[in-house]
Amino acid sequence: METNKINNYGASFKRSPIFYIITRIVVLFFIIIIIFPLLYTLSLSVRSPETVYSARYFLIPYEFSFANYIDAFVNAEQKLKVSFPRMFLNSAVVTSLSVTLIISMSIFAAFAFSHLRFPLKESLYNVMIASVAMPAQVLLIPLFYILIYLGIINTYQAVILAYAGFLIPIGILILRMFYEQIPYELTEAGTVDGASDFQLLMKVLLPLAKPAIATCVILLFLDTWNEFIYAMIFMQDPTIHTVPVGLAKIGTSRYQVNIGTYSASVMITIIPVMIIFAVFQRWFIAGMTMGALKH
Amino acid sequence: MIYKTFQIKTLFYLLPAVFIFLTFNVIPGLTSLVLSFFDFTGFETNLFRKFVGIDNFIKIYEDKYFWIALKNTFLFVFGAVFIQTGIALILSIFIFFGNFKFSILVRSIIFFPCVLAPVSVGLVWKKILEQDGVLNSILGLDYSYLSSVSLVMWLIIMVNTWQWIGYNLVIYYAGLQSMNIELLEASDIDGANWSQKIFSIIIPLLWPTTILNMILNLIGGFRAFDIVYVLTRGGPAHYSEVLASYLYYYSFSAGGPNKMGVGAAVAFVIFACILTIAVARIIVSKRIRREN
Repeated sequence: METNKINNYGASFKRSPIFYIITRIVVLFFIIIIIFPLLYTLSLSVRSPETVYSARYFLIPYEFSFANYIDAFVNAEQKLKVSFPRMFLNSAVVTSLSVTLIISMSIFAAFAFSHLRFPLKESLYNVMIASVAMPAQVLLIPLFYILIYLGIINTYQAVILAYAGFLIPIGILILRMFYEQIPYELTEAGTVDGASDFQLLMKVLLPLAKPAIATCVILLFLDTWNEFIYAMIFMQDPTIHTVPVGLAKIGTSRYQVNIGTYSASVMITIIPVMIIFAVFQRWFIAGMTMGALKH
Repeated sequence: MIYKTFQIKTLFYLLPAVFIFLTFNVIPGLTSLVLSFFDFTGFETNLFRKFVGIDNFIKIYEDKYFWIALKNTFLFVFGAVFIQTGIALILSIFIFFGNFKFSILVRSIIFFPCVLAPVSVGLVWKKILEQDGVLNSILGLDYSYLSSVSLVMWLIIMVNTWQWIGYNLVIYYAGLQSMNIELLEASDIDGANWSQKIFSIIIPLLWPTTILNMILNLIGGFRAFDIVYVLTRGGPAHYSEVLASYLYYYSFSAGGPNKMGVGAAVAFVIFACILTIAVARIIVSKRIRREN
């Protein structure tokens, strides 16, 4: 369908051989630029440790081996006291709990913003919109002390609550916009039939809001899984490091490691995301595009 | 609206989210502004004990590395807003009108780095840019890119562009798909060639999308920390420090001065930058509305 649309108004684009050649060269150039660093790192990581330095500038290794991956696990645990399985577990716990918390609260709050009346509604909403533009670092120092006073620094709760405070406006913004797009007749019909506001939300709005919730899940998943500075400062205990924090520790440590081990460590964090992306790529692209349009 | 008046039960929907938002976002944000007038370290229990007026601001005013960090932040934002958006614009038009057989695959590949952690991306590029890295062996040089004062910021901008270009690309693509095609068809009849179409029709029509991309990159630009942290840690000798990493260095870094008050002053500066831009944006958009 998409191609038909292009053919309709692309006449002079199709006629021009210069345009055809330029687009091929430019797009190929960018694809190589994007793929090369990742492929190169992957290629270094699957060589046997002895051949990492020899002939290392060809993408295809001549001696395959997964020894670097074993070294990466061992190096992380012995030298830096962080372990990859533990990092993934920590990230999974933090991400899933933050996303669940943010979405379950946003579902209700966004309903209040879209269908109910309360004082200072639009002012509060404007503060939320403004806070989306604020960089996370602005809150860093006071948050650090608030979490100390609450006695939850260096626990999962510290980072989960910090993420919730920082990301809840995104959930509310997207869901409010979506609730308000649902035709007024539907909710009116519900109230005429005697549905309470709670039933209206649960039975009419939520089933329709599934795509909006999927968008939120994707955006929040990426924001929390990849987040670095809060996770680094609020959870300094090596046993609860998340993936980016542990990886940064490995990658910037003063212990010199073999480039194969280094590359394997980086690839361990990239490959799972690559697999998830390969499966859900349409949702990721659609979700991030929709999320951007909220601004 | 379901109800004509405010009902107490509305609070049950609202309060959990608003409570979390206020406690962990608004209150820390405002406290941060207040804290910039106090002197305290990371070990203190009473932060508001020692009021120092604008001393923290004088301290950063006199620190040459603050000005480097400020300049670098603006350079980074400039790169994100103009270079990154510009490349994404051209690339999206080329992919959209280029009639590629695998257009979805092409977009997915260019988009993929957006879903990676900036930490992973930084570490991938770090080894490539090192003195014994692959870039030197491809170019046949022996140069330490990340320790070059004049080059290092541009490399950070390049790595950031590498990661986020796909994000702008898919937003442009959505803009292209919803573009009004009648003008293009009309220009076909008038015999416009492809470059005239791109520069006189498509780019002007995409202007709202361009603004959106620029705003997104502007906000993202002020956030940059992770990539600087893993690539250079602000080095060589603080020459690639941005405001966020400068804040980190002053307040939290193990080898740093551990002056939290100064860090809060830097946060104040970031806050002021974002606020200025937000106000400017509102004024400009109001003026545009009035002119129309």
